[in-house]
Amino acid sequence: MSDGKKQENGKSFFERLQDPSMLRTLFLTIISLVAFLIIWQLASDWLNLAYLPPPGRVWDALVLSFQVPDPTLGTTMGQNIVASLRRFLVGFALALIVAIPVGLVMGFSRTLNDLLRPIVEIFRPIPPIAWVPILFVAFSYIWGPVLAITIGAFFPIVTSVSFGVRSVEPIYYDAARTQGAGRMAIFEKVVIPFTLPYMMTGIRIALGVAWMCIIAAEMIMAVGGGIGYYIWYYGFNGPYDNFFAGVIVLAVLGIITVGLAEYAENYILKSRGMK
Amino acid sequence: MLDITNLRKVFPKEAGEMVAIDDFSLAVQNGEFVCLLGPSGCGKTTVLRIIAGLETLTSGTIQLDGRDVVNSGPDRGMVFQEFALFPWRTVRKNVEFGLEIKGVSAAERKTIGQKYIDLVGLNGFEEYLPKKLSGGMKQRVGIARALANNPEILLMDEPFGALDAQTRNQMQKELLRIWSETKKTVVFVTHSVDEAVYLADRVVVLTARPSRIKEIFKIEQPRPRDRANPEFIALRKQILAELEEESAQAPKLV
Repeated sequence: MSDGKKQENGKSFFERLQDPSMLRTLFLTIISLVAFLIIWQLASDWLNLAYLPPPGRVWDALVLSFQVPDPTLGTTMGQNIVASLRRFLVGFALALIVAIPVGLVMGFSRTLNDLLRPIVEIFRPIPPIAWVPILFVAFSYIWGPVLAITIGAFFPIVTSVSFGVRSVEPIYYDAARTQGAGRMAIFEKVVIPFTLPYMMTGIRIALGVAWMCIIAAEMIMAVGGGIGYYIWYYGFNGPYDNFFAGVIVLAVLGIITVGLAEYAENYILKSRGMK
Repeated sequence: MLDITNLRKVFPKEAGEMVAIDDFSLAVQNGEFVCLLGPSGCGKTTVLRIIAGLETLTSGTIQLDGRDVVNSGPDRGMVFQEFALFPWRTVRKNVEFGLEIKGVSAAERKTIGQKYIDLVGLNGFEEYLPKKLSGGMKQRVGIARALANNPEILLMDEPFGALDAQTRNQMQKELLRIWSETKKTVVFVTHSVDEAVYLADRVVVLTARPSRIKEIFKIEQPRPRDRANPEFIALRKQILAELEEESAQAPKLV
């Protein structure tokens, strides 16, 4: 049976390409992207607008932005990516540190849920961008942007984790109790392992949200560069070639991190016998 | 010895209350195999859950070896119809769960766990996750997990109800072998007359709601029992008649 598992999971990308449905998906993805580029090119040619440069010019701007420091901002695109990624990772890690315990206790304890829920619900609908100016004042230009990302990532994680805890099937509690487990042992050995896949779902959603927050986080300023600041600056001032180049970089960063999270989520589900 | 006296269980309902179990008294000797048999929807599972400490009783007493049963504990091992294995734990880790809770050292856990894995015939499957196992194998893990705590009594809630007929018969034989090797007291809930007559020293037939004891059949045929034996068939017929009398009185909501 372990051989069967190997066959299932051990297929390389190229082996999986032999699968007709996989091939079809790949084919349609390419069609979609090519069609998008063609429409973009045509629209740009016909409309001839300053803020809609053709894909070729955006590509040139993108390549150049990696090669030389930006004349206005003073950083290369590589430096922007590193600076943003650093803010992103620190902000996201803070969100994890706070949101996972909060989600766990909210799911597990009725009392703590009743105490914490109203506060979470008050702050949830407020867009993270609203906090940015105040965060800058309160936590300086270094921690302000970081915390804006923390706020964005916090809510999806809390929600998924507390939902996960409440999804623990009662039969598992029964089984653990008849094995002599008390409340704390159940929390440690049943609730947390059961909730792990939900946690991963929350993290995947939060990654998407957190990348959206990078613009807000770096809106005011970004010391040492930042992809959010770059997009914000060129979106306002042009040239728009640079704006779109920044957008492409952000999109790629988002796709990579969310893709990695999806992969990890799937791997965890499978290896833990929950899928 | 398990001693149940005047057990009564009342569930609150929107309008008034529902008496699930009433005037239920039963003494189970050490090493005895008792089946609780009743029409579906009667409180037989509730009786078992109260013994396990998963449900509170409204009045009456339950004593295990002279001590009052108040909460759940590893001295009463439970086997569930839905298996209730932890999907993220391997066979070994499932069996060792209770020992982990008790704080037994890793080395000792492994020795004890292995003993029960071997007992239920799962040697070689220690590192499998439950999803890779068949229903019968899953329930073997369930039995090993319950036994690993060395409980006073084994409580089984329709443990083979989710299995196909063939596996079910095979598991019944296996259970009798395990029972004779461990000499545990077993309280086994089922709605299958055939299963009860095949397994039990005594079959306790319950009434429809509220559950009372309708009749107790002592089964003295030597094991392994032969289902084609005329005595077996006659007894099965007799108990089935008792049971059908109750089913007829149960609310027609099936």
